[in-house]
Amino acid sequence: MSARDNHGTAPPWGDEFQVIGKRHRKVDGLAKATGQAVYTDDIALPGMLHAKTLRSPHAHARILSIDTTRAEALPGVHAVITGASMPIKYGVIPWTPDENALATDRVRFIGDEVAAVAAVDEDTANAAIELIDVEYEPLYSYTDPNESLERHDPAIHEGNKHGNVSKHVELEFGDVEGALDGADVVVENDFFFHGSTHTAIEPHCAVAQWSQDTSAEGLLTVWSSTQISHYVHRALARVLELPETRIRVIQPNLGGAFGGKSDPFSLEFCVAKLSMLTGRPVKMLWTREEIFYAHRGRHPMHMHYRSGATSDGKLVGSDAKILIDGGSYSSFGLVTTYYSGQLLTGPVDIPNYRFNSTRVFTNKPPCGPKRGHGSVQPRFAFEIQLDELACALDIDPIDFRRKNWQGEHTKTVNGQRITSNGFMTCLDEAERESQWKERRGKLADGRGLGVAGSMYISGTNYPIYPNDMPQAGIQIKVDRSGLVTIFTGGNDIGQGSNSVVAYLVAEELGVEVADVRVVAADTDLCPVDLGAYSSRVTFMVGNAAIDAARKLRKQVVESVAKHWEIAEAGIRMGGGVVLDLADAERTMGVREAFQLAEADHDTLGSTGSYNTPELGGDYRGGTIGASPAYSFTAHVAEVTVDRETGRITCDEVWVAHDCGRALNPMLVAGQMEGSVYMGVAEALLEEHDVNRFGLHSGPSLLDYRIPTTLDTPKINSLIVESVDPEGPYGAKEAGEGPLHSVIPAISNAVYDAVGIRLRHLPFTPAKVLRALAELESDQTVEQS
Amino acid sequence: MLRLPKFEVEKPTTVDETVALLSEKTGDVMIIAGGTDLMPNMKHELFTPKKLVSLAGVSALFGIREEAGALVIGAMTPLDQVANHPLVAERAPALAQAAGLVAGPQLRRMGTLGGNVMLDTRCQWYNQTYFWRKSLGFCLKKDGSACHVIEGGSKCVAAASNDTAPALMSLDAKLTFANADGQRELLLDDLWKSDGIFNKKVPPSDLLTEIRLPQREVKHLGAYGKLRDRGSIDFPLFGVAVRIDIDANDVVVDAEAVSVALQARPTRIRKFGESLVGTTLGSPEFEKGVQAAASLGHKQCRPMPNVPGDHEYRHAMVPVYLKRTILAAAAGAGPVHAV
Amino acid sequence: MRVLELKINGDRVEVAAPDHWTLLEVLRYRLGLTGSKQGCDKGDCGACTVLVDGKPELSCLKLAALSEGAEITTIEGLLPLHLQAGGTGPDPVQDAFDRCGALQCGFCQPGMMLSARALLNECHSPSQAEIKKALSGNLCRCTGYTQIIEAVELAIAERVGAKNS
Ligand SMILES: Cc1cc2nc3c(=O)[nH]c(=O)nc-3n(C[C@H](O)[C@H](O)[C@H](O)COP(=O)(O)OP(=O)(O)OC[C@H]3O[C@@H](n4cnc5c(N)ncnc54)[C@H](O)[C@@H]3O)c2cc1C
Ligand code: SF4
Ligand code: FES
Ligand code: FES
Repeated sequence: MSARDNHGTAPPWGDEFQVIGKRHRKVDGLAKATGQAVYTDDIALPGMLHAKTLRSPHAHARILSIDTTRAEALPGVHAVITGASMPIKYGVIPWTPDENALATDRVRFIGDEVAAVAAVDEDTANAAIELIDVEYEPLYSYTDPNESLERHDPAIHEGNKHGNVSKHVELEFGDVEGALDGADVVVENDFFFHGSTHTAIEPHCAVAQWSQDTSAEGLLTVWSSTQISHYVHRALARVLELPETRIRVIQPNLGGAFGGKSDPFSLEFCVAKLSMLTGRPVKMLWTREEIFYAHRGRHPMHMHYRSGATSDGKLVGSDAKILIDGGSYSSFGLVTTYYSGQLLTGPVDIPNYRFNSTRVFTNKPPCGPKRGHGSVQPRFAFEIQLDELACALDIDPIDFRRKNWQGEHTKTVNGQRITSNGFMTCLDEAERESQWKERRGKLADGRGLGVAGSMYISGTNYPIYPNDMPQAGIQIKVDRSGLVTIFTGGNDIGQGSNSVVAYLVAEELGVEVADVRVVAADTDLCPVDLGAYSSRVTFMVGNAAIDAARKLRKQVVESVAKHWEIAEAGIRMGGGVVLDLADAERTMGVREAFQLAEADHDTLGSTGSYNTPELGGDYRGGTIGASPAYSFTAHVAEVTVDRETGRITCDEVWVAHDCGRALNPMLVAGQMEGSVYMGVAEALLEEHDVNRFGLHSGPSLLDYRIPTTLDTPKINSLIVESVDPEGPYGAKEAGEGPLHSVIPAISNAVYDAVGIRLRHLPFTPAKVLRALAELESDQTVEQS
Repeated sequence: MLRLPKFEVEKPTTVDETVALLSEKTGDVMIIAGGTDLMPNMKHELFTPKKLVSLAGVSALFGIREEAGALVIGAMTPLDQVANHPLVAERAPALAQAAGLVAGPQLRRMGTLGGNVMLDTRCQWYNQTYFWRKSLGFCLKKDGSACHVIEGGSKCVAAASNDTAPALMSLDAKLTFANADGQRELLLDDLWKSDGIFNKKVPPSDLLTEIRLPQREVKHLGAYGKLRDRGSIDFPLFGVAVRIDIDANDVVVDAEAVSVALQARPTRIRKFGESLVGTTLGSPEFEKGVQAAASLGHKQCRPMPNVPGDHEYRHAMVPVYLKRTILAAAAGAGPVHAV
Repeated sequence: MRVLELKINGDRVEVAAPDHWTLLEVLRYRLGLTGSKQGCDKGDCGACTVLVDGKPELSCLKLAALSEGAEITTIEGLLPLHLQAGGTGPDPVQDAFDRCGALQCGFCQPGMMLSARALLNECHSPSQAEIKKALSGNLCRCTGYTQIIEAVELAIAERVGAKNS
């Protein structure tokens, strides 16, 4: 589907959906439940070698020499590679290619990849790594982003025009100074959002097999735990200097991603190169520690916000200055820098808005996209300011948001088109279910309720590399057996995208979900999809799936109508059966219908695609953050603060999320729950940082504390369906939006509970105790 | 995978056989009980013994029994049995609570009481991979020469982090060790030395066979308090076991508190009993005593930045956890734990 | 290297492995039983949980050489064992996890379901607090645990229902 044809939101057959909107098993659920599902590290190929990476022990250093002779001489070692083996730089954003598969001349953080070895087994590969002699010249290293802003010598990336600044964006919409001058209340504060990382439970892994075929280059197959096969495919071709036709990328079952498997990673290039050099399959499985170095997690942001409102409760403007700690490489940083400002302009209307965001390099593991990429941090600051304004004006914070709601089918101040917008219903639901009115302000001391809201994109019309081709494609094969096979380049990372396309196609073709098979994320077999990021899959791949299925449906209906000699409108399909609406006695199975169509139209198959309409503001960067539809969320959090220990317990969260339409409410709820869990963890427990030596402060699942069952609040998922005019049957996204506002909601709830404003994450008990002590001394001063 | 260094495994079935194997070549042989401490440490190359002697087949080391009024627990008894055994709950509530808060369910199933007593000390600069430690330049405890907790310090202050140790000490536990020369009994208090590198006076080649809790003359109450970030899995950031002896009228006749996860050895809080002795449980005097005992703990316990987390915060939590744990013991409740 | 005789999912298998290999490594890379997952390889996450004589243990910290003699159940064993016991289809725990949407990426779930299975074997109708405690050594990054707990409760409710009817 292109922007030009829209398939509408109505059920394809009659008044009611038959598959959509109901609870269904996932297409791969039982394969996962029984242990049959194959993940990358489950692959074992005959003669497979095992590879390991040598990493930099320095935070910043020049590589003077690398000597691999001792490693190569070790029995069992088959190949050793260094940066010289793959000197071409790459980067997920084509404008900022600053990464090498292995360091060529310089290392930029402790853990940066320097060399790789393939050997008969892991023990031998590990032993060989220790035999590689590298001479380094340590350089001054940066851990404080403020320093990177000021100091440019040494530059972390030599030749970067802006010293250690990775990206700077400054945009103003309206007249912020004028608006704030005219405000009755202005709040102004510093905020800090810390770093956190994804920790998908599956470690990154890649397997490569180079085989001979009729071409001179041979054929390279790479199985990888990636969430974006397409970019891995492109990056491999670039770095290995192979035509894309010589490379096949397959994503097996994926054990979680959350943005952490979006970039092309060193291990994919290394196994490919090592396989090509040795002529044997090669596997590399990173240890948990190595994944903390690979990182690409949430960017720490130092934020300064100033927002104002008039006494009647109207927000007049907001002004943001943001310093973004990017770590050592660009990754998605260009987009992050834009997102840090561009995605704030709803659901609350900001009539005048300005942001000034600067991303700098530091000698730390590189940051990238984590669930709610670039927009969770500013949302945190802004939603606390809304709470402060509401308090200052003595307006209920939910009402304050209602008063300032932007409306639906409108445009944001920065020129983004808003279609459906269910935020008001989200507020209503969260308010009602949490018994906000009855309970807020009336809870026992130490307990409180807080609210916050947010919006997020459902895909973006910025396709990372400029092109006019579809953003998502689908092929469908319909067989005389009655089986429907869908081929999709979409990456199912656990969110259930394979199931979603199966539901959509089953609905369109009137077949049972069980009779739909999905072949996914194999670049040889499936049409291109841009991958699982920016919450784009349901919206874009879903639309492409409807597009393809509708074409087939037309052929099938045509043939049945001809056979029965009735009008096409008199036919209904569903649950594997074709009905004549005028004659209840007359039915046939879809298998027979498919056979009629195959006889009429030849072998049945169709393609479908999706591309975004023209979107975005008319200024440089105006398309970054422009989405065909936005999801909306409201959170109410209930907390208990232990005044003696400073410990915050998040007891319960009500999350109301406008996902457009819940294609399978069970999967939507799962995404909402997972998002809330992850947000609460960021607020209260997790912190990804380096210590005074530039070393990761605890690269393990023991020291990086992700919540257990006992640390997760009760989560109430309230699904709101605004039915978006352009989404697949009206669907938008549910995987990232529901994370955002739970973090400020917790901060706001703590204020309600004990009167302290927490603006620096994470909310450790020590910080809470300090803030409580400050509050007490302030009050004593006031009283005296 | 995080590979283990190479070694061989011996599987003796009797104490004598075990002791013989252990005396072979000290340093290169280590005992493995549940392996839940040793395996991660070996994966981090903190220990690289050539031989592991497994106690899993030595049946004499398992089980909980009463013997002449004492409660005797075999060194190989899994922690989940210690936590759930009715005799332990009745006779040593602080121990049952502490054992029940060690790590997570699977690890309590695998980990043993003996292994917990003999646990290696822990430090944020030490419990890391070989790569990490090498990038740091190592530390005094293993492969290096400097301490990063106390800069310029010449002594390792890695923290004793075994949850059951304070509970056992509060109950005056005695340990039985066996080696080639025979058996000997040792008061748990006398096991420790204040050296984070190896905090025990008994050499690693000696086999702990059982832990004996002597019969107590008077009735006692007990509880364990544990500070940690999560409700499961994490090691203690601070732990404290409390024992309160009472007479028939609920008057405190003696009391003890033992802390852990602060320094290289678990330590008794000195003069702890004095604030509480003579008061009646629940009385205003008792409450005052509790406050006094809590501040005493605050003065004596000085957390260092050895284990992860803010050590000043850990210090601030000493009186809070101490107070809550005393109150829990007095109420017959506990453990004191955030979740 | 020694030849081990292991009892896995009701089978007696002989497998040669070096002494320094863990049970997880032998299961995954010697026996092809890749259903047991590895998320940390040092006891922190629970993905490698298997049942040893019916109780959950971490196979990444257990030496294969010390796993002889015990009945080991991996995720691959649940369905066949359920069939052998006269059931149909997957184990009720597996089925409930699927019906409740608990299987997102699925990577933590073999370990999670085995912890749940062990709980249900031990206790007829555990409370929600008991469920949470029993699963507190299995980290999941996708679900927020909500649908996992619902699934265990569903399996309990259906068992209780089946018994009552
Ligand atoms: C993720 C994780 C979390 C943990 N959390 C906690 C926690 O919260 N609290 C806590 O206390 N522990 C914790 N532990 C550590 C460990 O699980 C327990 O301390 C357990 O009790 C250790 O017992 P084990 O039998 O497994 O010991 P092993 O690992 O087998 O042995 C530990 C040490 O004691 C020696 N040893 C063992 N048995 C004997 C004996 N009979 N005689 C002489 N020496 C012996 C061994 O040689 C070794 O040096 C945790 C471990 C992990 C992996
Ligand atoms: S206290 Fe920590 S850093 Fe210091 S020597 Fe001991 S283990 Fe090393
Ligand atoms: S892999 Fe065994 S606990 Fe993580
Ligand atoms: S389902 Fe993905 S980690 Fe649990």
